[in-house]
Amino acid sequence: MLIQFILISAVVVLLAVFMRSWNTTRTRAWKRIAFLGFCFVNAYAVLRPGDTTRAAHLLGVGRGTDLVLYLLVVGVTALALNTYLRFRAMERRLTELARDAALRTAHRPEPERPLAAVEGERSQ
Amino acid sequence: MVNSGAPYLARNRSFSDVWLIIPVYNEAPVVAGVVTEALRTFPNVVCVDDGSRDGSAESVASTRAHLVRHPVNLGQGAAIQTGLRYALSQPGAERFVTFDADGQHRVEDVVTMLAVARARNADVVLGSRFLRPGGERLDVPWTKRLVLRTAAALSPTARRLRLSDAHNGLRLFNRAAAARVNITMNGMAHASEITGFLARSDLRVIESPVSIRYTDYSRAKGQSLMNGVNILFDLSMNREKG
Repeated sequence: MLIQFILISAVVVLLAVFMRSWNTTRTRAWKRIAFLGFCFVNAYAVLRPGDTTRAAHLLGVGRGTDLVLYLLVVGVTALALNTYLRFRAMERRLTELARDAALRTAHRPEPERPLAAVEGERSQ
Repeated sequence: MVNSGAPYLARNRSFSDVWLIIPVYNEAPVVAGVVTEALRTFPNVVCVDDGSRDGSAESVASTRAHLVRHPVNLGQGAAIQTGLRYALSQPGAERFVTFDADGQHRVEDVVTMLAVARARNADVVLGSRFLRPGGERLDVPWTKRLVLRTAAALSPTARRLRLSDAHNGLRLFNRAAAARVNITMNGMAHASEITGFLARSDLRVIESPVSIRYTDYSRAKGQSLMNGVNILFDLSMNREKG
């Protein structure tokens, strides 16, 4: 079925793109285009529900609702991946920040002093 | 000055270029003892407190170790990287050892590793629990042995380096190697990250036998098998660039 091919290749492409370059200017642009497209299709499907069913038949899916569900699954996968990678990038920046703060406030022990010097001080 | 300085100098002469890096996270009951014992042999110890909430940092502060404190908990990998960065900035530092805070590593093994590195001209010496003939049966609980052996067999980098033990926390780096280590896996995946980096590098890496003290304390804190799942996931997602 056509829909199976579309869904599976969509997931594969998403994985490849996210692994390789999830936050380049190009990918960011595509993510925004995809989001706008999603909003547009949303509005369209609400206005003309019959068309989703027609599109579903075209792709070999029984009902329009099922088609919407399938596409949502792919959408959620992309969202989850994106969120995971974003959190990790943030964690790396947090690490750098915390490491910098830690190194600046490092506590070093007093230099070990020979006993004679300590005794000299005491006698003063 | 002469009589009190002599033992210090004698001790200092051999190991003043060595830095022990000890990541510490909630180890208050034992860390001061571990550090004090290590300081008897090695004058330079830096503890990286990884945001402990049990007073570990205060315990360390009571010793003569250097103390670097992460303001928040970041993970053991991050703590090791911080410790390496700190030790690298210290004058005269040439050799860097990662050492566990829970008392499972032995100072004598570090001394052996230093000698091995010098004798065999190695950049990196990794501790292995499986090298000592017969030691295997004595030291390592068999469940642990199975997990670690499987990890070593499955990891392509461990095979490339012919490592018998891919996840030992006791490691020795010379300056060239330590300066190139860049741990980005904050959690426990850093062990695989380090062996991966070593396998890709042209550094000379060898193993040296160590024995681990599996006390009830360290066993209770040890890594579980399920954490292996976390490590595999983190590593597989680490392929993207940037």
